Amino acid sequence: MNMVSDNVDNTISLETKGTTTQKILVAILLLVPIIVFAITPLYNVQNPKLFGLTFFYWFETLWLVVTAIFFLAAALLLNKMEGGS
Amino acid sequence: MNNIEVVTVFISLFILFVGLGFWSSRFRRGDLSDLGEWALAGRRLGSYLAWFLVGADLYTAYTFIAIPESVFVKGAVYFFAVPYVGMTFGVAMVTMPRLWKIAKKKNYVTAVDMVQDKFNSKSLAIIIALTGIAAELPYIALQIYGMQAVLTVMIGQLVASNAATITEVSLIVAFIILAAFTFTSGLRGAVVTAVMKDIIIFATVIVVIVLVPMYIGGFGNAFAHMHKLPTGNTTLAPLYLNGFISLSIMSALALYLYPHAINGILSTSSTKKLRMSTALLPLYGIGLALLALFGILIYGSTQALALVHQYGAVTMVPDLIYAYFPPWFVGFAFLGIFIGGLVPASIMAISQANLLTRNVIKPFWKTMNKKTEARLAKYFSIMFKFLALAFIFIIQATYSLQLQLVGGIIILQTLPAIFLALYATRLEKWSVGTGWAVGMIVGIALLLYSNFVQFKFPSIETVFFKFNTPLSFLYIGLIALSINLVIAILGSLLVGKLKPAPSVKPSTTGSQ
Repeated sequence: MNMVSDNVDNTISLETKGTTTQKILVAILLLVPIIVFAITPLYNVQNPKLFGLTFFYWFETLWLVVTAIFFLAAALLLNKMEGGS
Repeated sequence: MNNIEVVTVFISLFILFVGLGFWSSRFRRGDLSDLGEWALAGRRLGSYLAWFLVGADLYTAYTFIAIPESVFVKGAVYFFAVPYVGMTFGVAMVTMPRLWKIAKKKNYVTAVDMVQDKFNSKSLAIIIALTGIAAELPYIALQIYGMQAVLTVMIGQLVASNAATITEVSLIVAFIILAAFTFTSGLRGAVVTAVMKDIIIFATVIVVIVLVPMYIGGFGNAFAHMHKLPTGNTTLAPLYLNGFISLSIMSALALYLYPHAINGILSTSSTKKLRMSTALLPLYGIGLALLALFGILIYGSTQALALVHQYGAVTMVPDLIYAYFPPWFVGFAFLGIFIGGLVPASIMAISQANLLTRNVIKPFWKTMNKKTEARLAKYFSIMFKFLALAFIFIIQATYSLQLQLVGGIIILQTLPAIFLALYATRLEKWSVGTGWAVGMIVGIALLLYSNFVQFKFPSIETVFFKFNTPLSFLYIGLIALSINLVIAILGSLLVGKLKPAPSVKPSTTGSQ
């Protein structure tokens, strides 16, 4: 990176490529994990318990794994949409 | 005897840590007298290293010390950190690749470079830069509290008297060493040592969460021995529902506004690698969730609670480890928590120095050359570290998490200028500036009012504002940001309406 500071790289496009279906799919993959986390009353309950932990604690912890899977799918899709190397 | 073993392991690993820190200046060698090389590691980090680096921003004393302490003292509302880390990477997946592209296109080194260029306003850029710098300070101070907590337990168990003085001196020595290798290696030092830190921490968390429940008869037993916590024990008390939601959403929006997080993003080598590493970051959150659960687990252990009684709630995690594990493991785990504060402190100070040099001083010092720019930033990084250190010697923390949450209220006020500016074309500088000012004033005023008038606390102990039901408790960051956003958006629309036609903006280039 020894570019001079006032160089502008015009090869970079800010547009999101991809079909509408792909865009909707990405939105779903990103929003579902977030919405579930945001609706706290959904998981603010005692049962079922796991290893003696109430649902409130273990569900949130496990939902992080689901979140990572969803986000990974979104990342792969977005990377495919972006194309190139 | 045993405690000497703890200290020996701790010091040996610390020497290894320091060695790695200095060695890393040779890692993927670059010209370290260039700011982009020193502060962004030459923008050459791939998915794995970016994962460790941004993970290091998240996996800090906030995770090891502040969140477990808060769950232990106040209860379920502070488990908000788990939804927070889940959601924040969703925010990052959307905003950060775009920021990366804009930065690459226009050759920006900081987010404030973009603010300066987009709004064409030197004053707005300086305000946003200073806000970022200010918000980092309490975050760094929190790291130091975490390091102090480890030393308090370790040294307290080793010597009979003068433990407090020895702790302070050790802390200062550790900081001098850190300052030296940050100066030489820059972000490379942080990245390489972040890998060591995370390996130690992951190993510790897994061992503790598997073994301790067996020693104490499981979480069921821990819950049974809990006294009633103000925000709920087994589930969240309904009164704190809005507090929980507002804290998690606002924290999720705040993380990627911090200069150190953006610094980490801009140091990755491509948007594809950036997306992959971001998508997997929620997995880091599992470690955070398990550590938060230590705050519950400790109620099942009389030995650990006795240590907490002696050294204070802030030492809760070190106490739990000390109570159950052999000395070599205690030394290993303590070093992990200790450098878990040091490495993020280094990253944060680098990003502050970067902003101060590039976005506050350079606009007034046009002739500054690249060498001077980098050298100045290096000296500032030392200054900020010791400023934070001074901060903690002067101000006694009652409750370590509050520091970071106050920083959150401050950094959230930069959201319109940074996140909105990524997308909106019609944002107008006066509206954004006014929104920022009102947001800051409201945030700080509510913080003071809530603590000293509403609750009559002797210091900053809460970041909630208490409304009557049904709103009950709300994070002040949400209130201040909402007002800020309304002003920034309505103001921009209004000014846009008044203007006869959208003026064609001359293509400004770079940020000089």
